[in-house]
Amino acid sequence: MKKSKDKSLVRVFMIVMFFVFILLFTYSSLNLKNIDYGYRMHELILREKALKEKVDKLRAQKASLLNLKRVERIVKKKLNYQYPRPDQFVKVFENK
Amino acid sequence: MMKINKKERNRAFILFVVFSIWVLFIVYKLVKIQVFDYTKYISKVKSQCNRIFSLHPKRGTIYDCNGDVLAISIRAESAFLSNKDNKESMEIFSLLSKQVRLTYREKKNIKERINKGRKFIWIKRKLEDREYEKLKKIKNSLNSTSTLGFVDEYKRVYPQKTLAAHVLGGVGIDEQGLCGIEYEIDSLIRGKGGKVKVLIDARGKIFEIEYLKKPVAGKDIFLTIDSSIQFFVEEELRRTVEKFRAKKGSVIIIDSKHGSILAMASYPFYDPVRIKHTSQRVLKNVAVSFLYDPGSTFKIILASSALENEVCHPKQIFNCYNGTFHIKNRTIHDIHPYERLTFEEIIINSSNIGAARIGLRLGKENYYRTLKRFGFGSKTGINLPAEEYGILNSLKRWSNVSVVFLSFGYEIAVTPIQMTRAFNVIASGGYLIKPNILKSVDGIVLPQVKKTKIISSSTGHIMTSIMTEVVNIGTGKQTKIEGIDIAGKTGTAKKIKNGSYENSYVSSFGGFFPANNSRITMFIVIDEPKGKFYGGEVAAPLFKTITNRLLIYLNIFPELDKGNEVRI
Repeated sequence: MKKSKDKSLVRVFMIVMFFVFILLFTYSSLNLKNIDYGYRMHELILREKALKEKVDKLRAQKASLLNLKRVERIVKKKLNYQYPRPDQFVKVFENK
Repeated sequence: MMKINKKERNRAFILFVVFSIWVLFIVYKLVKIQVFDYTKYISKVKSQCNRIFSLHPKRGTIYDCNGDVLAISIRAESAFLSNKDNKESMEIFSLLSKQVRLTYREKKNIKERINKGRKFIWIKRKLEDREYEKLKKIKNSLNSTSTLGFVDEYKRVYPQKTLAAHVLGGVGIDEQGLCGIEYEIDSLIRGKGGKVKVLIDARGKIFEIEYLKKPVAGKDIFLTIDSSIQFFVEEELRRTVEKFRAKKGSVIIIDSKHGSILAMASYPFYDPVRIKHTSQRVLKNVAVSFLYDPGSTFKIILASSALENEVCHPKQIFNCYNGTFHIKNRTIHDIHPYERLTFEEIIINSSNIGAARIGLRLGKENYYRTLKRFGFGSKTGINLPAEEYGILNSLKRWSNVSVVFLSFGYEIAVTPIQMTRAFNVIASGGYLIKPNILKSVDGIVLPQVKKTKIISSSTGHIMTSIMTEVVNIGTGKQTKIEGIDIAGKTGTAKKIKNGSYENSYVSSFGGFFPANNSRITMFIVIDEPKGKFYGGEVAAPLFKTITNRLLIYLNIFPELDKGNEVRI
C-alpha cells in the first residue's frame, strides 16, 4: 500500500518536473532568441548607418565633381568651348 | 547486514557535518549575493555590460533651388591620445605627426599638453579618410600603455568651395553655425542630440539597444539661390573688382515678381572650410552689411516720390543753373553743366542740381514719408545675419539742406540689399517685396512673402520708361543690349573718410529686365575702384556682362535682326 503510494508520488513529481523543465526551456530559448535578435538588430542598424554615411559621402563627392568651376575649366580648356555671342543666336519660327 | 562500528559512524558524522557546513556556506553565499547584496552586484553587472552613448545629430544639408548640394555633413573620425606615460606618448605622437597634416603651432600645442601630463589630448579633429586609414594602422601596431583612440564626428563639407560662401557662412569645429545662413537658422539645421543605452556582452558586442532620447536630425534646407547663376556672377564680379583694383564688391540678383534671391555675391570670397583662418573683413557679407551713401541711384526714389505726390510731371522743365547751384552756403555741382532739363532728363543725365530742385519742390515731409515706405533705415528682414539697418535720420534731425543732399543720395546710408529691394519696387509695378533666400525647409515650401503696394502702377510705368532711357541714351549706355529693354540707373558716390568726403568712390548700378515685364532685378556695388570710378563705367559694364549670360541661362531671347530669324 505504502509502496504504491510512493510510486504515484514519484510519478506526480516526474510530471511536475517535466513541465517545469519545458517551461524553463521555453523561457530560456525565447530569451536566447531575443538576445540573438538584439545582435542582428544592432548589426542591421550599423549596416544602415554605414550605408547612409556612404550615400552622404558619395553625394558630397558627386557635388564636388560637378563643381561649376571645375566643369567650366574642363569645358573651356580641354574641350575648347566658349560662350555664344548674342549674334550667334538664331530664332526659329514655325509657319502656321 | 554490515555492521558499522563506532569509529566509522564518527567518521561519517564528521563527513556529514563538513558537507553540511559546506552546503550551508554555499547557501549562505548565494543568499548574501542574491538577496542581501543584490543591489551592489546588480549595479556592478550593469556597469560592466550597460553603456550609455550620446548620439550626435547630423546637420541638415543645404541645397540650391535646383537641388544641388551646397553644404553637407559627412562622418569623420577624430583622433585622440590617451596619455598614461609622457615619454611613450611623445614617441607615439612623433609617429602620428608624420601621417597627419598639422601646423607647427598645433604640433607645439600637443607636445606641451603631453609634457604637462594631460590625460586626454586631441591629435586632430575630423581626419581626412587617408589620414584615418594611416592612423588606424599605427593604432593596431602600438604596444604601449598610452593609447590612440578615435571618436565618430560629423564634418561639414562645401563641395562648391567658395561658391556663395557669404550666403552659406560656415560652421565651427563642433558644427555650430558661425555666420551666414548656417548661423541664422542654426536651430533648424543643427538637429538635437540623443542618448542610447546598450547592453554589451563579454566580447564587447551590443545585443540590446534602448533609446533614452531619440536624436533628431537637422532639417534639410533649400535656398532660392541658383548655383549656376551664382557661379557666373561671382566670376564676373571677381574680374571687375580685380580689373579696377577695387576694395570690395557685391552683386545681388532677385526674381522681380517674388523677391527670391537668385544670386548674392560678395567679393573678396573665402572658403567656408577655412573660416577659422579668415579675417572678419573678408567674412563680412557686403550685400547686407556694407553701409554707403547711394549717390545717384537714389534719384529713382526721389523721382518716384515726386510723381507719386504729384508735385511734378515727366515733361516739367527745371533750371539747372549751368552746373553750379548755391543753396544756404553750400554749392552743388553737375559733372556736365545743363541750363535747363525736363524732369525725365534730370534722371536720364543724372543731374544733381536738377535732383536738388525736384527735392525742394517735393518738400522734406513728403520725401521722408516715401523713404520710410521704401524701407530705408530698417532691415529688409532677409534670413541672413549681420544685416545693417542703414542710417536715415529722423525728420527732426534734418537740416535746411538735408532734402537737397538726400535728393541725390547723400546724408543717408544704405545697404546693397536695401537698394535692390527699392529698385524692385519699380520692377514689380510698385510693390515692396521682402527679399527671401529660403525656399523650403525639409520639403515644406515656405509661403510666398507678403507684397505691399507702395507706389501706383502709373508711377511705376513712368519710372520704368525713364530708367529705360537712362540705359538707351543716358548715363547707363554701357548696359545697352540690342533687342532687349533694360531699365536702370547709375550711381557714383564719394566716400566719407575721417569725417569728410574724400576722393574715393562707390560705383553702383541697379536695373531690371525685360523692362516692361521684369523677371530679373539686379544691383551692383563696387567699392573704391581705381582709375575709372563712375557707375556708368565700372558697374554698368558688369551689369551688361552678367545680363548677357543670364539671358542665355534663363532663355530670354532678345528681339534680334531679321538675319537671325528663320521661319520653318
